Amino acid sequence: MSAIAIVSSFADDAECAHAIEQLRVAQVGDFNTFSPIPSHRIEHAIGKKKSPVRWIVLAGGISGILTGLAITIGTTYEWRLNAGGKPLLSWPPFIIICFELMVLLGGISGFTSVLALARIPTAEIAPGYNGRFGEDRFGIVVHCDEEQAERIESMMKEAGAEEVVREGV
Amino acid sequence: MAAAPKINTEPTFRDIDRSVLRVMEPAGLAYWAWIGFCFTLVGIGAAFWAHQIYAGLGVTGLRQPVMWAIYITNFVFWVGIAHSGTLISAILFLFRTKWRTAVYRAAETMTIFAVATAGLFPLIHLGRVWFFYWLLPYPNERYLQPDFRSPLVWDAFAVSTYLTTSALFWTMGLIPDIANAREAASGWRRKFYTVLAMGWQGTDRQWRHYSMAYLLLAGLATPLVLSVHSVVSWDFAMAQLPGWHSTIFAPYFVAGAIFSGVAMVVTLLIPMRRMLGIQDLLTEWHFDNLAKVILLTSLVVTYSYVTESFMTWYSGDPIEQMTFHMRYFGPWGPLFWMMVLCNCLIPLLLFSPRIRVNLVALWIISIFINIGMWLERFVIIAGSLRVNFEPSQWGTYHVTITEIMITVGAFAWFLGLFSLFSRFLPIISMTELKEGIVWLRKALKMDRVKAA
Amino acid sequence: MSSNPQQAHHERAATKPRPVESVVGNTMQKVATAMIVLGAAEFVVALSRGASAIAWQAYLVNLLFFLGVAQGAVVASAAFYLTQAKWGGSTPYRLGEAFAPFLWVGFFLFFGLYFGRSEIFPWVTHPIPQKAAWLNVPFLFARDGIGLGVMAAVSFAFIRASRGDDARAWSIATDDIELPPPSIRRLAPLLAIVYAVVYSLIAFDLVMSLAPVWRSTLFGWFFFAGAFWSGLVAMVLVATVLRGRLGEHNLFTNPVVMHDYGKMVFAFSVFWVYLVFAQYIVIWYGDLPVETFFIVQRVHHMPWSPLSVACVVLIWLIPFVVLMSVRTKKTPAILGTVSALGLIGMWLERYVLVVPSLSLDAIPFGPTQFFISIGFLGAFLLSAVPGLNRVAQAATSGEPVGDDAE
Repeated sequence: MSAIAIVSSFADDAECAHAIEQLRVAQVGDFNTFSPIPSHRIEHAIGKKKSPVRWIVLAGGISGILTGLAITIGTTYEWRLNAGGKPLLSWPPFIIICFELMVLLGGISGFTSVLALARIPTAEIAPGYNGRFGEDRFGIVVHCDEEQAERIESMMKEAGAEEVVREGV
Repeated sequence: MAAAPKINTEPTFRDIDRSVLRVMEPAGLAYWAWIGFCFTLVGIGAAFWAHQIYAGLGVTGLRQPVMWAIYITNFVFWVGIAHSGTLISAILFLFRTKWRTAVYRAAETMTIFAVATAGLFPLIHLGRVWFFYWLLPYPNERYLQPDFRSPLVWDAFAVSTYLTTSALFWTMGLIPDIANAREAASGWRRKFYTVLAMGWQGTDRQWRHYSMAYLLLAGLATPLVLSVHSVVSWDFAMAQLPGWHSTIFAPYFVAGAIFSGVAMVVTLLIPMRRMLGIQDLLTEWHFDNLAKVILLTSLVVTYSYVTESFMTWYSGDPIEQMTFHMRYFGPWGPLFWMMVLCNCLIPLLLFSPRIRVNLVALWIISIFINIGMWLERFVIIAGSLRVNFEPSQWGTYHVTITEIMITVGAFAWFLGLFSLFSRFLPIISMTELKEGIVWLRKALKMDRVKAA
Repeated sequence: MSSNPQQAHHERAATKPRPVESVVGNTMQKVATAMIVLGAAEFVVALSRGASAIAWQAYLVNLLFFLGVAQGAVVASAAFYLTQAKWGGSTPYRLGEAFAPFLWVGFFLFFGLYFGRSEIFPWVTHPIPQKAAWLNVPFLFARDGIGLGVMAAVSFAFIRASRGDDARAWSIATDDIELPPPSIRRLAPLLAIVYAVVYSLIAFDLVMSLAPVWRSTLFGWFFFAGAFWSGLVAMVLVATVLRGRLGEHNLFTNPVVMHDYGKMVFAFSVFWVYLVFAQYIVIWYGDLPVETFFIVQRVHHMPWSPLSVACVVLIWLIPFVVLMSVRTKKTPAILGTVSALGLIGMWLERYVLVVPSLSLDAIPFGPTQFFISIGFLGAFLLSAVPGLNRVAQAATSGEPVGDDAE
């Protein structure tokens, strides 16, 4: 269990990304980043796999289409109304319903999956977070032991950190 | 309200935050008086609606053959207004348009409340509102189900999907901004924003999933925009009624919706910019681009009018030709020509680059467009019904006080909700504006150069 | 904001420019000329054999298709200026302008239709008094001729402005939000407006009037939206083909740029199918015989039904399913194949719109139609040679592309 949290803040996302690359080279894995805006540079530097949200949205969309088919075909069979001589199972109107439900369920699953995967709502504040990381600073919080602390602090300063603070966890 | 600050052409992230969060400080008497005024009108409208529920739809002017008039006009009008918000927030996001960031939150907010307003009208139009749930497909002992071959049912699905998806997209975009507001606030406000922000801290995990979901939701919202107003237009086009039965309705209505919606965005943003003191975030460049969208969609609407007229003549169908003759030269002709003036002619002024950035002129033009587009829906809906098929079926329509007060109440409902939101939640997306800060700085410099 | 691979690509391209003089050289010109000769010969043979009806049908279908591609591409270039697109440097603009000389070829070929008017327009042999004020030979040829002439003239004025130094500098100034040069600001909107009007007119006059009883208000928009897509797709096909022939670091090897081309093919194919559906559902629901026959002939009855389905598959289904994923859009072989299939689909669509009105019970397609089509293709390719060389030059010049990609 790491005892120290080293909080570095950067004014620029390129510098932050560079620092992250240094951390990865040094094989320090236990860190968290904060940023006020999504940054491709930082995401690329961290190098995690693409978010699975897209598969969940795809699944949601497909289930929307299936639900649409189920509702339209099911209700039409239950009440076989002759509507202007149109066939019972007329695909043009049913396509519209399937399309709308595809978007609806796709959108809902996208939203809920973000909440679940990003683990919000949460009352837990990640260690090292402070308001400036929502305003205009990019932050990295590294969890490590006493021995590594010095090395990491100098690594951060070299990469261009404005401020490096050591906090006990 | 705040006087125009000296405009800083090199804003930083912190400047953006400050400008936007400043709007959310406790408001003065004038603001609350306006809110009170709006909701008083809403109350009056609600009272008239209550009376209508009690006394029946006879208190409206609806008589055969004009059974759809002001309420449906309002419905289509408000759904149309809603579309521009999603255009700006979702479609322009996919196009990577640079000027979108400062206006998209206000436009999306407008969408939510416009759909919420539009959704009232099918209910208002129901005689026995308390049975509204019969419209939903659920197992029941009457052996009745909604008929999915009816465009009205498609409409219910489309508009509900639109409301839900827009609300989700809007909420997702708000979360990082509310987290920002949380940090800057104190007291009960801080608690309020803390709950709403749901613990957002901008970690890489959060941004990674958020960014992908945002892109996907934008991708879903884009065809949704096309589909919803197409479905609304098909409420009319599916009928065999001359003046309604026309294949061009779907894209024509979508273009008209974007047209009226962007005009409404301009109507709201220009006063807001001054009253909330955000001249340093909403520049001439933004309005220039909004005006161009208005001009483009106005030309599409003009094309549609001309094509419909041409095709009526070309078809040689005497009944259709009579309908259009009455539309242009009948007793309601002045409404039609007013509509042409507002929708086709006045927006041509926007070909002039100077007018596009003259905010007073632009605002006046946007008001004309709002009027023109409302009239367009009325002319198409009630006008075509009035002279349907044979002269023996013709009738007329006189608007009543109930319909007027409910219409006024709906406008007040929309404006009141929008005004409430603009003070309590960030009306400009700080996050996205920061992402595009390079372009904002350029735009501010361009304005300075022009003004100098 | 650009990811590292793109930056690296910029650097490589900038240090090794390859000025190419004639990528599209003599071979293509020779082949194209041979195709033209073949097509013209077949046309003459068919006329003399008494098979003039099918010859003129093929003439009309090909004229509509290839004019649509050429003009649609120019309009795409204008659209890129209007949306201030800088994601591809100056190359998308050069691609859009590559086929423009065919606009004049098409203009002259249009008047050729006069000689086949009795085979093409049913209302020439059976005049319709009610519509005679609109559907009469002098007025039709005058308005459409003038329309196509104005279209070509405005297109060339636009292209001249677009090839100017100002416009080129603008297209590679990736850091700017300045508007395009004033001449473009005037001509691009004008071009778009004239296109919508003229091509709607072409659609009403040269396609819809072949079934004079039928009408659809959306038809003009549907036609020019399809022509626009065919122009885009032709541009993308050229990009994927040139990629392999322009040396190592040409612009078309940049996956981010190809991704953007792929997105546009995808998006506008969806728009096309939306317009198809919008017409179909209104006509289906209203069930008015004066409207339904046109659709029923083409979609629900043999022998045309499979061809209509094939159109939808080639123009919408394949691009939709295949180009949904990011990876396929960035793979030139796949993108190129989808584009080629799309062009075939669009040609087929023009065929299915025109020919059933003239020949309902059988699908006339044989050597005559084939060779006449080859002839038009040859004319199209020959007229595109200078433009394609310009594209090659732009793609190998090592220009920067917009940084806002991805």
